[in-house]
Amino acid sequence: MSFIVLIATGLLIPLFYRNNIFIAKMIAIAAFIVAAFFVYQGQSLNSIFPYFVMTKSTMIMEFALLATLAAVSLTLTGFERPLIAQMLFLAGVSLALLETNNFFVFIVLFEVVAIISYILVANIRNFFNAEGAIKAFIAGAVASGIILIGFALFSFTSESFNYSDMNVSGKFTLIAVAIMLAGIFYKLTIVPMHAWAADAYSQVNHAAAAILSGVIKSVVLVATFKAFYKFMIAYPTATVLIFSFFAIITMTLANFMALWQKRISKILAYSSIAHSGYALIPFAAAASIYSFAGILYYAVAYIFMQTSVFLILNDFRREAGVKHLKDIKGMGQRAPLHSLFFTVQLFSLAGIPMLAGFLSKAIAFYAGVDAGLWVIVLIAALNSALAVGYYVWIIKHIYFDKAENEAVIKMSAGSLIGQLILLAGTVYFGVVAGNVINAGMHFSF
Amino acid sequence: MVAVDIIFAPIFLSVLVYFLTKGAEHITKYIALGWFLILFFISLSWLHQLPDHGFLQLGTYLKVPLFNFDLTLQVDALSVAMLLLTSLLLILVVFTSWNEKNQASYFSLLILFSGPIFGVFMTTNVLWFFMFWELTLVPMLFLVGIWGAERRVYAAIKFFLYTHVFAMFMFVGFFLLYKQTGYWDITQIKEAALATPALIWWLMFAGFAAKLPLFPFHTWLPDAHVQAPSSISVLLAGVLLKMGAYGLIRFTVELLPNTTREFALWMVAFGLLTTFFAGMLAVYEKHIKKMVAYSSISHMGLVVVAIATMTYDGLSASLYEMIGHALVISPLFLIAGWFHHKTHTWYMNEMGGIMKFAPYASAIFILAGMAALGLPGTMGFVGELTIIISAVKSFGWWIAVIALGGFISAGYIIWSVRRAIHGEPSQIVLNSTFEMSGAEKFALAIFTGLIIYFGVVPQPIFDVANKAFSSFFGGM
Repeated sequence: MSFIVLIATGLLIPLFYRNNIFIAKMIAIAAFIVAAFFVYQGQSLNSIFPYFVMTKSTMIMEFALLATLAAVSLTLTGFERPLIAQMLFLAGVSLALLETNNFFVFIVLFEVVAIISYILVANIRNFFNAEGAIKAFIAGAVASGIILIGFALFSFTSESFNYSDMNVSGKFTLIAVAIMLAGIFYKLTIVPMHAWAADAYSQVNHAAAAILSGVIKSVVLVATFKAFYKFMIAYPTATVLIFSFFAIITMTLANFMALWQKRISKILAYSSIAHSGYALIPFAAAASIYSFAGILYYAVAYIFMQTSVFLILNDFRREAGVKHLKDIKGMGQRAPLHSLFFTVQLFSLAGIPMLAGFLSKAIAFYAGVDAGLWVIVLIAALNSALAVGYYVWIIKHIYFDKAENEAVIKMSAGSLIGQLILLAGTVYFGVVAGNVINAGMHFSF
Repeated sequence: MVAVDIIFAPIFLSVLVYFLTKGAEHITKYIALGWFLILFFISLSWLHQLPDHGFLQLGTYLKVPLFNFDLTLQVDALSVAMLLLTSLLLILVVFTSWNEKNQASYFSLLILFSGPIFGVFMTTNVLWFFMFWELTLVPMLFLVGIWGAERRVYAAIKFFLYTHVFAMFMFVGFFLLYKQTGYWDITQIKEAALATPALIWWLMFAGFAAKLPLFPFHTWLPDAHVQAPSSISVLLAGVLLKMGAYGLIRFTVELLPNTTREFALWMVAFGLLTTFFAGMLAVYEKHIKKMVAYSSISHMGLVVVAIATMTYDGLSASLYEMIGHALVISPLFLIAGWFHHKTHTWYMNEMGGIMKFAPYASAIFILAGMAALGLPGTMGFVGELTIIISAVKSFGWWIAVIALGGFISAGYIIWSVRRAIHGEPSQIVLNSTFEMSGAEKFALAIFTGLIIYFGVVPQPIFDVANKAFSSFFGGM
């Protein structure tokens, strides 16, 4: 039901674009609330189509997704209105992607999400936007091709595509999975398939970048884990080697690159890439019973904080033309509310306790220790300490430096409510861990 | 419920204080003072409720059965001593920063700081301990970075990164503890066997050593303490360094006694190196606040030697010295900062003859200095004497070389008194006006009173130590 509500609203909502965008926003939020209600009732795609299963873990991720998208739609302004319909489609497809228990459906929906992401970034206002959008599109298309090659190879070896009874011990399975992962790593922005993301995230419209780097990545993380779980269990050595290797190079390289950057959006883009690296640790630790709890917690926490920082950056860019680090000097005085939200969410990304970013890292890393990968966890922990450097560097510019321009920036009501929703998520999941861990540890297809 | 409230209430209180006192900033200090007094009296009531040994249960919150990640709050005499010290210093810090600028944000950050620092000493859940431990850094980053001296931003970020990086080693150590025992709670871990105790011990030791700080990990401290405003230096030296010592006692001595015994000589080596190295640097230093900062590091070295004895005597001495160090080093920091505030120079060779113009502050500086070098009748004497005795008992006569630490501190204290306070007034001093507010005088008087009181009557602290450590080794 929720799927139908979201897609139908998405089809209808362009009718309201002409008039006041406020009405369109309210309709979209109503649709998200209704969808969340149906999810709560357990009536999602599973009541209509086969191949979809609703579990408690799916439910939590879906609530986080719908709340985040509602918050994003509250903060949008005039020319970003096409995003509203695209977010509704994205929400519908993401629910399906999270609920599916069939590998074929997973691949199809993964492509649909990719297509929505191309439309998201196509909200082009200048040359920079165009460059980012084209990079995202070309890299995405290449990735799709690679995934399809891998899937074609895999489809020769397996009769059934249901997660529970796929044949994972075929002759070409391991190579097929490796090829598919290469494609999926493009989407997850794993080094060395990350180059497009650093440009796309920082150059497309920041609201679209929020969805691209926050929402889509989180959904894809959870869905990919579920889809590949059986393979990861079947090939434990390959799993540990592949994912540990990519986790380490991703986080290390991205963190060092982030330290170099002058543009804030680029710092956040590299930070997002580094977070993909941390998120690979539960994949490497798939053998641990905490692995799914780790990835679920990571996605739930990450969706709130990453979306929030890009939305605040969007406000800053719109109101004050902020691009570089020097432009946010003294924002603590000029825009106290924005700065407070920004700081809290950056601390969360940095992994400061009592915020979701810490617990998500703690549980994801614990999964690694539980699987015996404590050296990799130590590297990851030191990396996250290194990352604190650039987050604190941003905060230093906000609070410790003098403003060059005294104009005060007011926060609009929509932005305020949206940011409060995201902050509530960050703080709630920073203290109350029970729900997600319970859901993640009782994980089944 | 009181227990969990005093940890989490500061978060809301600080935000409220910050946003609701626009235009009436001067009330914030009264709110902060009231809150810290409440904390002090709650800690005092816990002191009276303490059982003869073991923990006073304060409840378990936020239960997560599958991951054992419950916020278990319980305090023993050691934690209560730390809580009393923390709340006392917080109260006095309100007085010493009575006229600080941007009061709304300053005092709301102080209130914010009070929550996690109480959490550190109250929880026995390792993961929550780590969370509170990290969280104390955030208000400190802003307090140093906004209100500090010329190079405050560098010092604040260095402090934050340094302690954060070393905390990560500790973090992985805690993970291995849970992985190998299945418990986060130290009271339960104690009974379980560990597979790789040495690895865990070193990982945890790295985190505590950077906080204490021990010799090779100490470089953040001179920067942070010098650049921080004097009141915040008091909190850094009086409370944050104690977190490291508290962690060493709780997580190495109490939790892994056999492994600690195995590495005790390493701890002694680090402690001795720290004492001598920092002491020598203090002698060399012309910068008055840096001199005090190195003296602070040097005394923490003694605390580590006392902890490494692993005996009832040694631990009691270390607790006494921890409290003594906090009370002695605080007036030194405050007055060093005040001298700078009035003369606008940091360097002792540019000062001189301050005694004539500021007799009150100079007298207290000399008295606290004498306590730092171990003059009988002050807390410094009892602390150093008990440490030397307990160390000699445990390690043999050669350890008496730490008495040389006292000798070195006599050198730098007396020489700095000679340069800054006595002698002919320099031109800089003649051009300065020395006026001290009543609130600052009051706070300094309290520090002085406590240094002498506990120096003459040390028994109350040893009574607390008896409750804290009697259960460790069977008591005296």
